[in-house]
Amino acid sequence: MELTVKNLTKEFKDLTAVRGISLTMTTGVYGLLGVNGAGKTTLMRMLCTLLRPTHGSITWDEQDIFSMDRDYRRLLGYLPQDFGYYPDFTVYDYLMYVASIKGLRPVTAKHRTKALLEQVGMAENARKKMKKLSGGMKRRVGIAQAMLGNPKILILDEPTAGLDPSERIRFRNLISTLSEERLVLLSTHIVSDIAYIANEILLMKNGSIEAQGTSQELLSHMPEQVWTLTVPRDQVNTYMHHYKISNIKTVPGGTELRILSGTRPSKDAILENATLEDLFLAYFGESPYGHTNVDESAGEQDG
Amino acid sequence: MDIRMSTKVQVSRMVKYELKKVFLRTGNRVALLVLLLVTGITCFFAANISYVNENGESTSGPAAIASLKKAQKEWSGLLDEETLRQVIAENRRIRTSPEAMSDNVRESNIAYSWGQGIGEIRSLLNCSFCAFREYDYYRADSLTEAEASSFYANRISSLKDWLSEEAKDQFSEKEKEYLISQYESLETPFFCDYMAGWRQLFEYAPTVVMITMLVLGYLVAGIFSSEFSWKSDAVFFTSFYGRDRAVFAKVKTGFLLVTAVYFAAFLLYTGIVLTYLGTDGYNCAIQNSWGSWKSFYNITNWQEFLLIALSGYIGCLFISSLSMLVSAKTKSAVIAVMVPVVLIFIPSFIGNINSPLVNKILGLLPDQLLQMSSALNYFNLYTLGGKVLGAVPILLVLYSLLTGILLPVLYREYGRKEVG
Repeated sequence: MELTVKNLTKEFKDLTAVRGISLTMTTGVYGLLGVNGAGKTTLMRMLCTLLRPTHGSITWDEQDIFSMDRDYRRLLGYLPQDFGYYPDFTVYDYLMYVASIKGLRPVTAKHRTKALLEQVGMAENARKKMKKLSGGMKRRVGIAQAMLGNPKILILDEPTAGLDPSERIRFRNLISTLSEERLVLLSTHIVSDIAYIANEILLMKNGSIEAQGTSQELLSHMPEQVWTLTVPRDQVNTYMHHYKISNIKTVPGGTELRILSGTRPSKDAILENATLEDLFLAYFGESPYGHTNVDESAGEQDG
Repeated sequence: MDIRMSTKVQVSRMVKYELKKVFLRTGNRVALLVLLLVTGITCFFAANISYVNENGESTSGPAAIASLKKAQKEWSGLLDEETLRQVIAENRRIRTSPEAMSDNVRESNIAYSWGQGIGEIRSLLNCSFCAFREYDYYRADSLTEAEASSFYANRISSLKDWLSEEAKDQFSEKEKEYLISQYESLETPFFCDYMAGWRQLFEYAPTVVMITMLVLGYLVAGIFSSEFSWKSDAVFFTSFYGRDRAVFAKVKTGFLLVTAVYFAAFLLYTGIVLTYLGTDGYNCAIQNSWGSWKSFYNITNWQEFLLIALSGYIGCLFISSLSMLVSAKTKSAVIAVMVPVVLIFIPSFIGNINSPLVNKILGLLPDQLLQMSSALNYFNLYTLGGKVLGAVPILLVLYSLLTGILLPVLYREYGRKEVG
């Protein structure tokens, strides 16, 4: 059970969305982390046979997935980022329809639909029309449809986008329970989603995989170190201009900054353990405060 | 254990859900209601024929139809020279009566009421004794019994005159010969009967067929594009059958929708009109009606009915298939809905251009299939492999073949769709 991507590239008219990606995935949860526009959805759509690559290949146990055609799709469950549905269908009808195009026998379809509705907590809403559901409910129906064929490969594109914190936790737990003995590829730009459930993280930027490994491996190879430093409030802007800041906290006597830097930004700075959020900032150069341009030497001067 | 099921059952289940998608949409339900309403209104107009009673009063309804039928049945039978002589004499008797000559409207209405039994034959006399492209309502009034013998011969001679003068450059010699031979091979004398049911049915049939086509265009336009507009395309195409049987189910849904809706509307219209007006005259030649007097298609009313039903169906199937293909190709129901509108209405604008070549092209456009009762009266001829044919058989074969080609193209086009 091995999904192998070799030198995968997807070019659109004036944009290369995916650039020469090579990777191998087996069972377990893979977290595809990247900012919006990194190429995550395009990569996933190629893995789902929705888009054909411009160059490169995707194989499942050494067979080209496009040549496998429906034999590959039999193994596949997909929850797209923009999960569309038939607004006038009830939840039950929707799942029964998807079951029919997934080729399940009616008896199996009924059984699987009922079981999955229970599992995603939607049994009581089975007769509700899809258009009447909340965003979280729709996502749960979405994961149920992806699981209908009991897929070996489950691809979830931004499954927690737009969900409130409690729904996100519920969703993460659900994905964890579904991930046994299958390959789950989960894309997100929300770091905490990956931190809890992914066995392996793929950091994607500008169409390429920048780094790959477990969270420990990635954190140990982080190109920068993490520091905390308390500074007077009037110096916050200066630090923000010169460093990647992953957190700002007001404390008595000033402001505590969490700084990513290859060198100690100040003699008072304290070395900290890095988190995935720090990793995200280090690789993607985007902080919640909008700073992306790093000038390493500036820190030395300020210090 | 193989949890997948047999193809036929599987496709049927998918078709059931595809139909559900169509019929659950409010817009589609409204479109079907509009079709029902328009069919009902058309039935009303088609069945609304009047009869002037012996007091000169215009009446309508079942009693009026019964009276008209009774009056015309008195003249039913072979329309031979003797009958024509009697009709000419009877017409003269009525027209020269004091009531007909009177300036009083009621009096002249009374005179009109006496002529309703021979009304249709009188119209045929007008056709026969006028020049080919003319119609003089009063021509029959000036006829003598002696002229009755040339009634059928006039039809052929006036055609020959027209072909040698006004239309001499419009047709090849072979085509002219074909037209004349068709006219000569028409079986005469006609069998004449009351046939208001068929006449009215044919007159309004294009309205019903065209409205049905427009509604069908609206219904089928969404079958393929809605997956994109609902953003359900990704789930659809990644499913096990998403690129084959599920696509086939969509094509089949379109086919079933066209078949069911077309025949429901057409048979409803036919049923109401013929039940109300009667099926008498089913075996009469269509040339028995003044509107089809010049037609070179030698068929009966019953055959014209079958032809209208079949051609309307083929036309609806073809235009719907094209609409579905556009919907699949462009991912837009709006553009797809425009296909039937363009195919039905654009030819009538181009039709104002008086050019033999344009007419030949227009004669083979699919809108002709939707108005077969008119197409049967057009002189659209085509020479294929040295053989002259009317437009009607070409239309039937051409669009059956094109539909047969379009459906696999549609299947292939949609099955290979990429979702970007």
